[in-house]
Amino acid sequence: MSAQPAYRLAAPNWCLPVLLFMAFFFVIPLAANLLRTQSPGTGPFFYYIKLLTDPYYAGVLWETLKVGLITTFATLLVGYPVAFFMVRFAGRWNALIVFFVIAPLLTSIIMRTFGWRVLLARRGLLNTWLLDWGLISRPQNIADDPIAVYIGLVHVLVPFMVLSIAAVLQGVDVSLEESARMLGAGRLRTFLHVTLPLSMDGIATGCILVFVVTNGSFLTMLLLGGGKIKTLALLIYQQFNTTQDVAFAAAMGNILMLVAAICFALQFHLLRHRGVKT
Amino acid sequence: MSAPLPLRLVDVSKSFGGTQVLKPLRLDLAQGEMLALLGPSGCGKTTTLRLIAGFEAPDAGSIVINGRDMTSMPPNKRGLGMVFQNYSLFPHMTVGENVAFGLKMRGVGKAEKTQRVRAMLQMVRLEQMADRHIHQLSGGQQQRIALARALATEPSILLLDEPLGALDKNLREGMQFELRDIQRKLGITSILVTHDQEEALTMSDRVAVMAQGEVVQIGRPTDVYDRPRTRFVSEFLGTANIFGGVVKGATGENCWLVALDLQPQIEGLVASSDALALGQRVTLAVRPEKLMIGPPAPSAIEAWVKDVVFRGAYFAYELTAHGQDRPLFAYSQAREVAVQNGTVGVSWAPGSAVILQESA
Repeated sequence: MSAQPAYRLAAPNWCLPVLLFMAFFFVIPLAANLLRTQSPGTGPFFYYIKLLTDPYYAGVLWETLKVGLITTFATLLVGYPVAFFMVRFAGRWNALIVFFVIAPLLTSIIMRTFGWRVLLARRGLLNTWLLDWGLISRPQNIADDPIAVYIGLVHVLVPFMVLSIAAVLQGVDVSLEESARMLGAGRLRTFLHVTLPLSMDGIATGCILVFVVTNGSFLTMLLLGGGKIKTLALLIYQQFNTTQDVAFAAAMGNILMLVAAICFALQFHLLRHRGVKT
Repeated sequence: MSAPLPLRLVDVSKSFGGTQVLKPLRLDLAQGEMLALLGPSGCGKTTTLRLIAGFEAPDAGSIVINGRDMTSMPPNKRGLGMVFQNYSLFPHMTVGENVAFGLKMRGVGKAEKTQRVRAMLQMVRLEQMADRHIHQLSGGQQQRIALARALATEPSILLLDEPLGALDKNLREGMQFELRDIQRKLGITSILVTHDQEEALTMSDRVAVMAQGEVVQIGRPTDVYDRPRTRFVSEFLGTANIFGGVVKGATGENCWLVALDLQPQIEGLVASSDALALGQRVTLAVRPEKLMIGPPAPSAIEAWVKDVVFRGAYFAYELTAHGQDRPLFAYSQAREVAVQNGTVGVSWAPGSAVILQESA
């Protein structure tokens, strides 16, 4: 087609199959979802208004965002030290740690979540230990406590956080930290003034990823926490399976979609403004 | 005598994973001097610098800075300054913030900080760059900012880790003099780690040549260059022509006649302040610029011109001689040398050849 003899393995039209696939299975269903929220006899925003004004549904929306934020924060707290250790100290063990970080993703989510039930249940391993050590006098059903949802989510999502941060930390030259030490900064101030600001890109990517994935999770909430944590994704699942109110479920899906879109716009913005480096 | 030395290394040694990278090293620095640690990679020079900085702890020995034992002190409490090979400027800060970082860590007041940063930037002639970002600077500018940052806190010793390694040749030569100038003006005691012999010779008051974890020779640049003690030093500091031979006798004060292992046999003069025994085997080295090329003569080494390379400031001649398995190198200003039947005569002035220790 083009006259210039430059070697290019790929031609632009090679991406046509992918584009078609995405159009059929991604863009069209999403557009259809917008139409699905419209039902005869109601206004165009009927279900959205219901979702945002009804105290119960507004509460669920708020709970969804809360669970997302708490999970993201907890994942960051757990993931950053792992990423830091991996990049700075693991050396030749790095590959092994990467494997251990990714290993949970190789198991089915249902298996993993049931695994937590086994550990956290009233007669589970954790209760047995706590009783043996005399830390509690009566077994607690932790598996049906909201905390179990957070444990389950953090467990699943930590790999995304670790890998996002590690990728950026890898690019932060150790000699930058050494420079700070030579200039009189102790370990903590070196971290706060040099390492942390320079790993912000990774933190942002990891956080947005974890937040968006948490918003879309419902299996963890279904299997852990005894139904005490209700989020939009779980509600969508229930709308489909029990009440079969497709229009309302579609409205909820679109709200989640909007939240995700805002997050990615935010990340795009962050990368464009902070991504300038030597 | 009165003031303690800025730096004393007392039998400092270091091993990594069973290999000794630094054999017990004893080194004293005088106030205001610049010492170059020169050697090939893996000779222990960088390890020495990192031990002084505090990034590595020695296995044995002590590091005494200004009379205080700092062996187990973390790097941030040693009061030293360092310029890294890749400058290591903080990419998320402006030039001014970079230079101010050390002062900020020391809790210096705002007014004093501003004034000090300006003075530092003036010193490296970049005062208009304070608000620039690091990636907007050229390599040479980054190098100067790294120097300004290291000096802003008035460290007692300046450590320079291959500071000019990343610059191109022209810039490097200019920076050698500029860095030297600033160091002299401030009178700051400095250690320069480099593998570039020219840089070491140009910039330092003393050169310590290191190999395999120890200092093999230390002295003024001219001394180390003109009177290398070992074959390694003579070859690492530029090019050297090495000859073997047997001592024939003395021809004057500190001057000896040596029968060289060449065919036909020829005698050469060598300078040595040590007494040499008659019939003793010696190895001697002559710098290429000290070799004189002339027409063949009975007193000159007979050699063939194998190749001539134009090096800009001089011509480098590659010569072969009977009995010498390695080629001889001679630097000459002359484009054409007298050749008879394809041979030339190579000789040197008395005192141009030095005796090397046999062990090396």
